[in-house]
Amino acid sequence: MASESESTDLRHSLGNFEEALRESRSLVIKMGSLAQQNLTNAMNGLLQRDEDLCNDAIAEDEEVNAIERSIDQGGMEILMRFNPVATDLRSVLAAMKIANNIERISDQAENIARRARKILKKKEVEDIRLIEPIYDAATAMLQDAAKAYAESDTELALTLFERDKHLNKLHRKAIKHYTQAMEADTENIKTYLHLIFIVRCLERIGDHSVNICEEAVYITHGTSIKHVGPSALES
Amino acid sequence: MSKQDKKSKEPKPKATERIDTSSDGARHLNEALLDVQKLSFSYDMGKTDTLKKISLEIPKQKVTAFIGPSGCGKSTLLRCFNRMNDTIPTARITHGNVKIMGADIYGPKVDPIRLRKQVGMVFQKSNPFPKSIYENVAFGLRIAGERKKSVLDEAVEKSLKGAALWDEVKDRLGESALGLSGGQQQRLCIARTIAVEPEVILMDEPCSALDPIATAVVEELITKLREDFTVVIVTHNMQQATRVSDHTAFFYLGELIEYDTTQQLFTNPSIKQTEDYISGRFG
Repeated sequence: MASESESTDLRHSLGNFEEALRESRSLVIKMGSLAQQNLTNAMNGLLQRDEDLCNDAIAEDEEVNAIERSIDQGGMEILMRFNPVATDLRSVLAAMKIANNIERISDQAENIARRARKILKKKEVEDIRLIEPIYDAATAMLQDAAKAYAESDTELALTLFERDKHLNKLHRKAIKHYTQAMEADTENIKTYLHLIFIVRCLERIGDHSVNICEEAVYITHGTSIKHVGPSALES
Repeated sequence: MSKQDKKSKEPKPKATERIDTSSDGARHLNEALLDVQKLSFSYDMGKTDTLKKISLEIPKQKVTAFIGPSGCGKSTLLRCFNRMNDTIPTARITHGNVKIMGADIYGPKVDPIRLRKQVGMVFQKSNPFPKSIYENVAFGLRIAGERKKSVLDEAVEKSLKGAALWDEVKDRLGESALGLSGGQQQRLCIARTIAVEPEVILMDEPCSALDPIATAVVEELITKLREDFTVVIVTHNMQQATRVSDHTAFFYLGELIEYDTTQQLFTNPSIKQTEDYISGRFG
C-alpha cells in the first residue's frame, strides 16, 4: 500500500463545486447564528418583559425558513451536478439535515416568543426565574453545536450527549415545579401552563443541538452515532 | 443431454482442473476467486515495474471495479488476469503471482488459450467478428470443437438472453453483427464471452464508447452477470463504479492504494489519496 498523501487542502478540480460546498457551509453557519439570535430575543423578551424582542424573534423566523430552502435547493443542485462522494457527500447530506434541525430550533424560538407575549399580558410570577438555568444550558448547547460544526470539533460535539441529560433533568424538575405551582396559584394557571410549554421548547432545542452534533461527527468520521452515542466511534 | 443442460445439473468443473494444475483450488471456492499476491509487472524486461507488489483478492460472483487515473496500471493488472500481456515480447511478471481458485495462472502447465476461455474479456470498443450474430456467439464453442447444431442453438439463445440481447435479435440471427448498434454490439461481445461459460469476465471500460441509454443497459447487465460470473471492470467513470460494483480498488502509479467495499470506499475512504482522487481533488 502507498503511504497517505501529505497534501491537506487540495482544491477540487471543478471550481464551481468548491464554491457551492463553501456556500452551503456558510449558509448553515449563518442560519445557526440567526436561530441563536431568535432564541436570545425570545427569551430576553420573556425575562425582560420586552414585547418588541418577542416580535423580532417571530418575524426573523421567516428569514431562517428562507435560508433552509436555499440550503436544500443548493444541496439538491450539488448532488445533481457534481455527484459528490466521501467527505463531500457527507457534508452535503449533513448540511441539509443540520439546516432542518436549525429550522426546528428557530420554530421553537418562535413558539417561546408567542407564549412570552401572552405571559407579558399577565402579572409577573416570581418563579419565572427558574427557567433561566434551563435557557442557559440550552443556549450553550446550541452555541457549541454550531461551533462543533463550523470548526469540525468532534471533542466538543461529544460533550453534548451528557449535557443533554443534564438539561433533561432540569426540564423534569421545572415541569414538576410549575405543575405544583398551577395547583397552588390558580390565579396564574395560564402563565404556568405557558411556562411549561416554554421549558419543553428549550428541552427540544437541546435535542436538536445533539442532532446537529451527530451530523458534525458524521462529516468528520463517516460514522453515524445516532441512537448509539459516542460509543459508536469506539467500534 | 446438451452441454447447457449438463452445466445446470452437474457441478461446474473446478478451475484447478480446467487449467491443468495441481493446486488446492477447492479450498478457496467460497473465498477469493482470484488471488493476487505481491504482483509486480514490467513492460520493459524488468527495468521498471508498472505494477508494484499488488496484493488483492477478487471475491467470487461479485463485481469488482478498478479505478484510478490514466497510467495507474489498472488495465495492465486486468490483462494480467488472462495473460493478455503475454503477447508483448518484453512484458514480464517480475514478482508475485496470480491464482485463480488457488491455481497459479502463470504456472508452467497453464495454456494461455485455455485460460482465456475461463477468464473472458470485453473491451472498450466492441469488436464483433464480420460474421452473423449467431456465428459471433457460437464462435468460441466451435473453436472448442462443438459441432452439434442443437447444442450450438441452445448455447446461442442462452448467451444472448444472458446478455439481454435475445429479444432484439432473435428474428435476425443470420444477419451481420456489424449492422447492430454500438450498445447491441457490446452486448453481443458479452454474449460471445459468456457462451464459453467463463469463471471470470474482465471488462476494460466497456461503456466508454456507448451513449447513456446503451450504458444503462450494459450496466444493468453487469449487475445481472454477477449471479453467474465474477466480474472485474476497469472504469474511468466513478459513478459507474458506484452503480455496478460491490468492491472497488483504487490504483495510483502502479500501486494499490485502497481496496474496500464500494459503499465504504465512496462514502468514507480510509486513505486521503483515495478521497482526493474520488472527490476530484487529485493534485
